[in-house]
Amino acid sequence: MGIISPVGRGIRDTIEAIKNAAPGIKPLRLFPTSSIESLPVGEITSLTYSEDVPRTHALARIAAEEAMHNACGSPDAVVIGVTTGGMPVTEELLKKGILDPGKYTYHSTGSVASYVARHVKCNGPVITVSTACSSGAVALKIALEMLRSGKAKQVLAGGVDALCRLTYYGFHSLQLVDETGAHPFDRKRRGMSVGEGAAMLLLTVAESPPHNAVAELLGAGLSCDAYHPAAPHPTGDGALKAMKEALSDARISPADIDYIHLHGTGTVDNDLAEARAIHSLFRDRPLPPLSSQKGAIGHSLAAAGAVGAVVSAISITNGIAPANTGFREPDPLLNLIPSVEPLQANINAVLANSFGFGGNNAVLVLGNPQRRERAPNLFCKVQPVPLAVLGSACFTGAGNAKKTMERLDQGESARGIVPPLEILKPLSEKYVRRLKRLCRMALSLAVSACEDNEKLAPPSAVYFGTGWGGMSETYDFLSKLYASDEQFTSPTDFIGSVHNAAAGHVAIRFQSTGPNVTTTGGDCSFEHALYSASLLSHDSNAPLIVIGADEHHDILSPLFDASVALGEFPADGGGALYLRPATSESLLRICPSFIAYAGNNGGGISELIISLGGAKRINEDFGAILSGIPAAERNKGEAQLNDFLSTTGYPHPVIDYRRFVGEFPSASAVAAVLAVSFAHTGEIPANICFPRATPLRGRGILVLGFGSHITAMEITP
Amino acid sequence: MNELINELKVKIIETLNLIDVVPENIDENAQLIGGDLGLDSIDVLELVMMLEKDYGVKIDSREIGVKIFASVAALADYVHHYQSGKSN
Repeated sequence: MGIISPVGRGIRDTIEAIKNAAPGIKPLRLFPTSSIESLPVGEITSLTYSEDVPRTHALARIAAEEAMHNACGSPDAVVIGVTTGGMPVTEELLKKGILDPGKYTYHSTGSVASYVARHVKCNGPVITVSTACSSGAVALKIALEMLRSGKAKQVLAGGVDALCRLTYYGFHSLQLVDETGAHPFDRKRRGMSVGEGAAMLLLTVAESPPHNAVAELLGAGLSCDAYHPAAPHPTGDGALKAMKEALSDARISPADIDYIHLHGTGTVDNDLAEARAIHSLFRDRPLPPLSSQKGAIGHSLAAAGAVGAVVSAISITNGIAPANTGFREPDPLLNLIPSVEPLQANINAVLANSFGFGGNNAVLVLGNPQRRERAPNLFCKVQPVPLAVLGSACFTGAGNAKKTMERLDQGESARGIVPPLEILKPLSEKYVRRLKRLCRMALSLAVSACEDNEKLAPPSAVYFGTGWGGMSETYDFLSKLYASDEQFTSPTDFIGSVHNAAAGHVAIRFQSTGPNVTTTGGDCSFEHALYSASLLSHDSNAPLIVIGADEHHDILSPLFDASVALGEFPADGGGALYLRPATSESLLRICPSFIAYAGNNGGGISELIISLGGAKRINEDFGAILSGIPAAERNKGEAQLNDFLSTTGYPHPVIDYRRFVGEFPSASAVAAVLAVSFAHTGEIPANICFPRATPLRGRGILVLGFGSHITAMEITP
Repeated sequence: MNELINELKVKIIETLNLIDVVPENIDENAQLIGGDLGLDSIDVLELVMMLEKDYGVKIDSREIGVKIFASVAALADYVHHYQSGKSN
């Protein structure tokens, strides 16, 4: 494990800080605030790092290096929860009006995980999760399922976020910051203290725990409130569901829990909803010791879930329940008294809560690896499941799927900006008045994908991949902030700037209370969303929706995305697939077969071919390849594609889809939807690769991605 | 006061991007939040920012907020008194 927080760098310092209940909240010093008095924050004050990277990346690396210290080999996968990414640098540059794309290389949230992957030499899946304040815990859940599936033996997973103006002013604009510092669960609590930090855990799978194991991740549960973009469900229904799922996943009961690591942000609503959920879970049973650390270290947002996991592990190994710093006076409405002092206790199982915007809930259960009473819940290599396609929708510059196909049929490109009225068509303008382009696009795609299937159950889980998130909201938030000398901004834009905002709206629309996962891994964000959906669906038959979308922003897109800057035309769009874990043979299926990071070396192609079943299967089962190579990675991607084609001797058409879909990260979502459409009709329409239609003869389609990540999605009849 | 009420109606429509609503549609005595306009707590925060920016009016507690945002008339009354220094 590795950790850095306002109370210490490294596990040893963190244990001392927990034993001494060290306070870490002080007035902000990191950047000047021109108008409002510096609010108390959880700031890491003595951070030094030599490389020219944003603070988020530096924090992630520090925690990752500690977690990997003494590790045996490189991890097979990296899964990191993050929301701020390169924002600490981006907001400075935008404030100064510096519009040089070369300076924004590390802007994306996905760049944090890639940066860590390069340092730990990981060549497997490198996944970024961005589900606001539950990100770190959701990342750990995905890592756990990767291990259970047998897809990885060793995964580095965790969360990170750095203090920046976006979060500092954003939470302030929502009146969620306590000007006296957070005191969770106290009667007079008035809000949180925004913080920063990183925590990483190296997880490995074993029938019997390794001798140096500090804790066992017994299980995890995800849920969504499907209630409000920024406020928790008032009675904590979503939180309760996630806690129940986590306990069931871990195969233990509430009575087995020796300590609860509370989310406890210190806001009036969070603490009330969480207390109600805890009471519902325990009913009349006495509560175990419980505490929130956010009165001591602040709320480290995307890191919080992973920090909670590390603190939980420390509580197990050291027999100590941390103090709930800042708590003074019980709140009769909560009927919940956290530990005011660090408490010596024999702790064998911990429940650790994380909740975030979009009603996004993730709960972990950690146990003492030396006291395991039950067989581990490994499911013996359950593979990621193929998903049957119930419905689909896409947007390109031409419009919806039908208009896109018409455009392609005429031998013309569909790339361009999606017409706003086209996005609005299935939505009520009144209902979406507060939503900007990306949220509208994702919601519209979801509604369109499900609209012909009214007899089927609505999607219970939502998976969303986006390379850049809501750029309109981010830009508008910062512009208003800077235009008013950092006095005023828009709370609505702050809520919309969170990468998982769109997925939250989709959940509210369909009342999808199951997992709600947003992945932000650059050009393969959609593939990561599909992969997460497939991993997390092995024990369910419920329908789900997987969406990929990105908006074009005139100023930010060319700054952030080198492929957009190289593209001849601005373009955006996305796709959505309404799916169900595949049981029926009669439906088309999509399966994310391969994901690997190719940033460390030139490899990956032979692994791709092996994972697809070898050249013979590829040539016999797939009648066409849709190949996605981002413009900025043309040389590398084309070399990879050529390597693939020459090694397999692939005889069927290969279609370079970005040439007619355009340059944006979730172009692959459009490609997946087009592939589904081609497979349905049994042919590649005329003018796409040849003047005449090309029959597929019962074969499927492969959607491949090349560049710094290599991906494969199989669409099979 | 009527002028301020009308001005606030226009600002509310603009700030909250209210679709198909014109000032005449807003009854200044009707419930503003949770009423026919479909406004909620996020809209309140947006209006808090607008009031501070455009009128110098600070609202930093939920209790005061509930009172002020009862109706457009109540809002106008508060802004008027705040600006003439009669409110604390």
